[in-house]
Amino acid sequence: MLPLLRSEVFRLRRRWITWILLLSVVVLAFVLYFIIYASVQAQIQALQNGTLSTTNGAPQTEAQLREELQTLRPAQVMSFGLGVVSGFGSVLLIVFTASVFGNEFNWGTLRVILALGAGRERFLAAKYAVLVLYATVLTIVGALAALAGSEIVSSIASLDSTVPSDFITQLVLTIARTVFTFLPYIALAAFIAVWSKSGGAGIAIGLVVYFAEGIVMSLLVAFNKDYVTVANFGLSRNVSAIARLSGSSSGTGPAASTLPDPSQAGQAALVLLGYTVLFVALAMWRFRARDVTSS
Amino acid sequence: MSDVVLRTRGLVKRFGTLTAVDQLDIEVHRGEVVGLLGPNGAGKSTTIGMILGLVRPTAGAAEVMGRDVWRDRENALANSGAIVETPAFYPYLSGRDNLTALALIRGGASRARVDLLLERVGLSARAKSKYRTYSLGMKQRLGIASTLLSDPPLVILDEPANGLDPAGQREIRELVRELAKEEHGVLLASHLLYEVEQICDRVLVINKGKLIASGTIAEVTAGAGTIDIAVGDPARAGATLRALPGITNVQETEAGVKVTAEPARGADLNRALAAAGIYASAIVPHKSSLEDVFLEITDEGGPSTSGAPAPS
Repeated sequence: MLPLLRSEVFRLRRRWITWILLLSVVVLAFVLYFIIYASVQAQIQALQNGTLSTTNGAPQTEAQLREELQTLRPAQVMSFGLGVVSGFGSVLLIVFTASVFGNEFNWGTLRVILALGAGRERFLAAKYAVLVLYATVLTIVGALAALAGSEIVSSIASLDSTVPSDFITQLVLTIARTVFTFLPYIALAAFIAVWSKSGGAGIAIGLVVYFAEGIVMSLLVAFNKDYVTVANFGLSRNVSAIARLSGSSSGTGPAASTLPDPSQAGQAALVLLGYTVLFVALAMWRFRARDVTSS
Repeated sequence: MSDVVLRTRGLVKRFGTLTAVDQLDIEVHRGEVVGLLGPNGAGKSTTIGMILGLVRPTAGAAEVMGRDVWRDRENALANSGAIVETPAFYPYLSGRDNLTALALIRGGASRARVDLLLERVGLSARAKSKYRTYSLGMKQRLGIASTLLSDPPLVILDEPANGLDPAGQREIRELVRELAKEEHGVLLASHLLYEVEQICDRVLVINKGKLIASGTIAEVTAGAGTIDIAVGDPARAGATLRALPGITNVQETEAGVKVTAEPARGADLNRALAAAGIYASAIVPHKSSLEDVFLEITDEGGPSTSGAPAPS
């Protein structure tokens, strides 16, 4: 599989989309700190000047706003910065994965590679491996960008920039958890692209599942709490359970109290792993014996 | 050691009730160029797809250098290079990078090897240009270069001259002949029958998935031709000739009759006409080209015989 992997890396390094997506995560993770700081600072100024008061529509008091600024500290980068990387990264990885698989069909390059003798399972395995590698790089780079943004904003806003002694360990663990939560979405987008022989279908269905599944499950649970067992086998709620291990927000809304507890992270991990294995197995099974023609 | 680089045995492909390829047995040897001919939808691409492990055969097997393509895929296809249908490469990569990316799949190729192949197909000057900026002819050339990356014993070219100008077509013909001289076995699918006639040592004609003729060009075209006979009474001459054994097609023309028959039978026909009191003022034999034979044997309404019947 190593030759296939080397070829995949060679090709991905030369695609502009690879670098654009990476850059967009870096920019977002970095710039968001400044945007939030500027926004909170502007509200505090307005409250102090009297142009905004808590009685005429200001959503928060000055104390609450100053508390909000605390989320920009380096010590909070796991919950805030990596939370942003996780949410944005999932969307980018769905798009990227579907494009990486689907374009092989669209460009006709799949038949060229298979005609070279590349094993079908190994071909898919090399693509999955490269995408997991890319997801890891994207998360690490995003985390570093968030950390840099946090450090700079903390020094501007005179926030406490000290970090706990186990900060590095916790950061590495959070990065690992974040990458893990990407896996089912990568597997889903790849599965749809392989089955439909189209990157577009992989992107569309992947994004619909990513955005709509959580909403549908929450509505279902809000409608009748008996559905919580079903909902807890969905993707979004289990991703949320894993994310909350790093201190991410527990969510709001009528169904928030029914979200899986972080203490159930083991079960959540198993569910996500189950989905990942299922999607990968289905893609492999379909691809194994499929006739590859130009049509 | 056998010099057979490609062998198919009883190859069958069915799509539902449609049999696209039916019991196909073909062989390609080292150092020969074999033309794979057939009308659109005859089963050529499906056959190539099965040889390259892209299409799963319903029955039968394809072997490259004695290795089964489905059971020992990697080792079998390590011995082949192919353009399948149309050339397909990564549009965002340059010609050189495309070859490098493909070479990596087989363990890599040196920069010198890649450059040598680009030079061989006349793409050195555009090696750094993105593939998406290439003309169809340049894409074909890059496709041919890609088939030679690992210097494989078997080279499969599907319409390699498609999109090339006359000079480019000639270059490709010369390149294919060079490949045969270098002991590659070449399977060439083409619609350009004059091209096939010039460069192929043997041809395989398939129609509706069946091998309907095979052999050297001389064997396939042997016995096929027409004879124009100038006579004063075409109707009587036609009736006389139709009565002869082995004469199936006689057309009366303004100047006489046109008989479908082996060109060497001119003397026989003249003798028969003279015996009937009809004297020919001219007898002009025409040997059929590969194109004539191809059109005749693949025509649904035409006779189903061939110069060299396919092996059963």
